[in-house]
Amino acid sequence: MASALKTYGTLIGFVLVVVFFWIEIPDTFMTAKNWLNISQQVSMLAVVAFTMTIVMVMGDFDLSVGSMASLAGIVAALAFRDGHGVWVGVALALIVGLLGGLLNGALVAYVGILPFVATLGTLTVYSGLAFLVSGGKTIFGRDIPQAFSGFARSGISLTETVTLPSLTIVAALVLAAVWFTLEQTTFGRRLYAIGGNMEATRLAGIRVRRLRFFAFGLSGLGAATAGLMYASRVASANPTQGSGLMLDAIAAVFLGMTMSEEGEPHVAATLVGVLILGVLGNGLTQMSIDSYVREVLIGSIIVLAVAASSLGKAKG
Amino acid sequence: MTSSLRTRLSTAALFLSAVLAAGTAGAAGKIAVITPYLAQPGTQFYVEAFQEAAKDKAWDVNVIDTKGDVAAVIARLEDAATQKVDAVVINVDPAQVEAGLAAVKDAGIPVVGMDAGASPYLVTNVTSNGYAMAADTAAYVANRIGGKGNVVMFVFDAFPPVQVRGVIADAVFGNNPDIKVLDRVTPDVSDGGIADSRAKMEALLAAHPDKGSISAVWAAWDQPALGALQAIEAAGRQNEGIVITGIDANPQAREAIAAGGNFEASMAQDFHGIGKAAAEAVAQTLAGKPPKSSVIYVPTKLITVDNVKD
Repeated sequence: MASALKTYGTLIGFVLVVVFFWIEIPDTFMTAKNWLNISQQVSMLAVVAFTMTIVMVMGDFDLSVGSMASLAGIVAALAFRDGHGVWVGVALALIVGLLGGLLNGALVAYVGILPFVATLGTLTVYSGLAFLVSGGKTIFGRDIPQAFSGFARSGISLTETVTLPSLTIVAALVLAAVWFTLEQTTFGRRLYAIGGNMEATRLAGIRVRRLRFFAFGLSGLGAATAGLMYASRVASANPTQGSGLMLDAIAAVFLGMTMSEEGEPHVAATLVGVLILGVLGNGLTQMSIDSYVREVLIGSIIVLAVAASSLGKAKG
Repeated sequence: MTSSLRTRLSTAALFLSAVLAAGTAGAAGKIAVITPYLAQPGTQFYVEAFQEAAKDKAWDVNVIDTKGDVAAVIARLEDAATQKVDAVVINVDPAQVEAGLAAVKDAGIPVVGMDAGASPYLVTNVTSNGYAMAADTAAYVANRIGGKGNVVMFVFDAFPPVQVRGVIADAVFGNNPDIKVLDRVTPDVSDGGIADSRAKMEALLAAHPDKGSISAVWAAWDQPALGALQAIEAAGRQNEGIVITGIDANPQAREAIAAGGNFEASMAQDFHGIGKAAAEAVAQTLAGKPPKSSVIYVPTKLITVDNVKD
């Protein structure tokens, strides 16, 4: 019983939060429309958090995801401004994301810099590049093609009033891809092995460096995807707009980690972490609670969940 | 562990309930004010004025600051639509949050802009008249130099709210046959605008070394005016009677104007008035009589050494 609570404490907390909002906001909270709304609101954070899970499985971090998301949005917007089509802009942004991620991977795996330091460095570099290529300005208006900004507003109609948003579908696809990669492929299982004991994994003949290199590449790719989703949603690109994603993504993965017996990140658990953050934002706004109270609550809940989990483990 | 976790969660729930009870007492209308810019002094002033006006009307106002995150504004607009508030007030470029505005419109909720920019999604936008502000300072310059002399203009045509100011100043100076616009400078604003404006002004001063060869500097906002002032003082030409004007009357500009040097005038926006007028526009809309005009201008004031201390 105690161990079940230790593992499921965060999940129970999430359910309690949902039940609380359901009782407090009976008319509008527990509706399909609102939940699809939440899914759309968290979709960008979700994509970053899912791919962040890949590097956190190895016990690493990628601090550069926020500035990579900004840079990717800027790259796509500049391509649009130069008259390139939507797919060219999107492809360029994703390539920049992949290359940026692989650079992180090379610094961590081959040069041997601690991930915290390496990605802190590239965080600054990517952010600087975003400012440099955009001239520090927001790119918006006619420069952003309708086909691109329209994507974030499109979706599959389920009923007359309820639509499954395209951004939610993208996040779901990324979730499926990351789940399959981490849980069902040799590549993924080896990443967990690295997270368990890097030295033992290396001695077992697994090419640890190459795996870390590629894992960071995927994180960069995910960050760029989220940056594109963000740019589409706000129909503009700004050199700082992704910066809030990084800490929330790491928080979501941590919240998810409290749900695992071994304290390992799993992408399905990361989803719960993302939803906790999203549901709090949505529910507290609907309850007209001051936005600063929301910040305090979200931070407290993160600390509470992780503390409860680690206290439980220390005793157990 | 089991019980302690439960205690903690129920404490959190209690806290939430308490906050909720405080938030929804006795409301005659639920208004969501959403902005990413609450940390900016201007925004704070109009949000405070709006809240003050709302108190008289017994509205329940929820101010939501997304701290620079524009996508979060869309999310909060969607939440406001779900929550079925009575009205929404935004302070953000409507073009960047159209997805959220569409959701609010679908829910039949009116949106009022508070210095937000024009948009078909808004009932009206309450702001300062950029045309009028430029007319006041350009006319001040023309009158101070007696309709005669060389004027340097600092403009920024890439940003629409500033571009309209330049157009009006062009017209005022163009209407004075003896005023010659020496240069129409667009400073690099990536460093905030003061440093590059100073460099540009230093170059112009070097190119026109004679006393009286530059009569005035008209700047479309305060930063270039401050840069020009620094250049003039650094060149030791502060006693040639070069007249400088800016727009916005930010604290640094007010200080320069109060010092009684070359920087003589700027325009102050009535942030308090914008907040009050936005509340009035919401009240009219809720009463079923929305304002007719898509833009409501709140008067601005010319700030000179005579009234800068008021």
